Amino acid sequence: MGNIDELISKLAQDTATVKRAPHPFMLSIEWMVVAAFYLAVSLMISNARHDLLLKLHDPWFAAEIAALAGIFISTSLSAALLSYPDLYQKRRIAFAPIVTFALFVLVIFLAWQADNPPAPLPAHSFECTISITLVALLPAAWTFYVMRKFASTHTHWAGGIAFLFAFSIGALWLRLYEQNDSIVHVIEWHYLPMLGFGIIGMWLGKKVLKW
Amino acid sequence: MTDTTGNLEALMRQSLAGDQRAYAALLQETSRLLRPFLAKRLNFTNEVDDVLQEILISIHKARHTYDGNRPYKPWVYAIAKFRLQDYLRAHYSDQLRHADDLSEMEEYLHEDVTKPAISYESISGEVQKLPNKQATILRLMHQEGYTAKEVAEQIGMNESAVKVSAHRAYKILRQRLENGKLER
Repeated sequence: MGNIDELISKLAQDTATVKRAPHPFMLSIEWMVVAAFYLAVSLMISNARHDLLLKLHDPWFAAEIAALAGIFISTSLSAALLSYPDLYQKRRIAFAPIVTFALFVLVIFLAWQADNPPAPLPAHSFECTISITLVALLPAAWTFYVMRKFASTHTHWAGGIAFLFAFSIGALWLRLYEQNDSIVHVIEWHYLPMLGFGIIGMWLGKKVLKW
Repeated sequence: MTDTTGNLEALMRQSLAGDQRAYAALLQETSRLLRPFLAKRLNFTNEVDDVLQEILISIHKARHTYDGNRPYKPWVYAIAKFRLQDYLRAHYSDQLRHADDLSEMEEYLHEDVTKPAISYESISGEVQKLPNKQATILRLMHQEGYTAKEVAEQIGMNESAVKVSAHRAYKILRQRLENGKLER
C-alpha cells in the first residue's frame, strides 16, 4: 500500500496540462482527407486509366470502387476508435469493417459471375501487389506513427485495420490507374494480398503499438 | 467512507486541467476501485500491488485519451484489463520456461528414483556447492516458489540476468550429476 501511495503522489506531481486527444471521428476525417489528397496526387503523377469515366458507367466496376471506398472509410473510422483504450465507448462502430468487407466480398463475387465471357488476364501478375504495397507504405507508416501517440488496448486489431486502411488506398489507386478488366487478376493480385497484409499489420501492431 | 465514484469524471476533468489534488484523489479512488478487481484474478497481494502500480502508470500515460465527456469507469477498466492480460501472459510464459528447465532436471531424477545416491538431498547438496548467487537464485525459485521477476526484485538483479544465472546453474548441476552417475 505504501508503494501505491508513494506512486500516486509522484504521478500527481506531474500534472502539467495535457493536450487532449482529438475526437476519433475528427481523427478519422483527418486521415481520410490526407489519404484522399495523397490518392489524388498519386493519380495525377501516374495518370488515371484513360477509360475511367466510361468504366464508371459499368455498374460492377462502380460497385467495386464504391465497396472499396466503403472499406477505406470504415477502416479509417475503426482504426481511429481502436487507438483509444476503451474504443471511445463506440464498440459497434469499431466493427464496421466487418460489414463493409462482407459487402465487398458480395460485390466481387457478383462481378466475377457477371464477367462472362471472362476478360483476358493481363500479362503481368505480382507487379500489381508490389505497386499497391509501394503506394500503401507511406500511409501505413503515417497511420502507425499517429496511432502510437494514443493508447490502444487492442494493438493487433489496431495494426491490422490500420494496414487495411493503408492498403485500401493502394488498391483504390491501382484500380483507377490500371487498364485491366480481369476480375480474376484483381482478386488474385490486388485483394487477396491486401488481406494478407492485414494479417502482417496485426503482427506489426502488436510490436509497434505497444505502450 | 464517502462514495466519490460518481465524481470520477469531474475529478478527471480537473486533473486534465492541471489540478494536482484532484488527480491524487482520482488515482486513490481508482486504486480503491481496482484492488478488488485484481484481487479476484491474482493469487498474491504482492502481485496485486505490482499490477496496480503498472495500471496507475498506464492511466497516467494514457490520460490524454480521456476527454471527460464519457464515463470514466469503462475507460479505466479497459486499461486495467489490458495491463492484467499483459502481466498474466508474461507470468505464464515465465512459468512455462521454468517448467522446461525443471523437466530437463527430471530426466536425470526419474532414472535413479530407486537409488538413494541421487536423492533430493544430494541435489540440494550440489546446489549449496554452487556459487552463492546461483545457489540463492535456485533456492528462491525452486524451494520457495518465487518467479524470476520476484527473485530479481529481491536480490536487486534484472530479470534476464536471474534467468541466465539460473540456466548456468542448471548446466553445472547437470554436469555434476552426470559425472556422479559415471563415477558410480
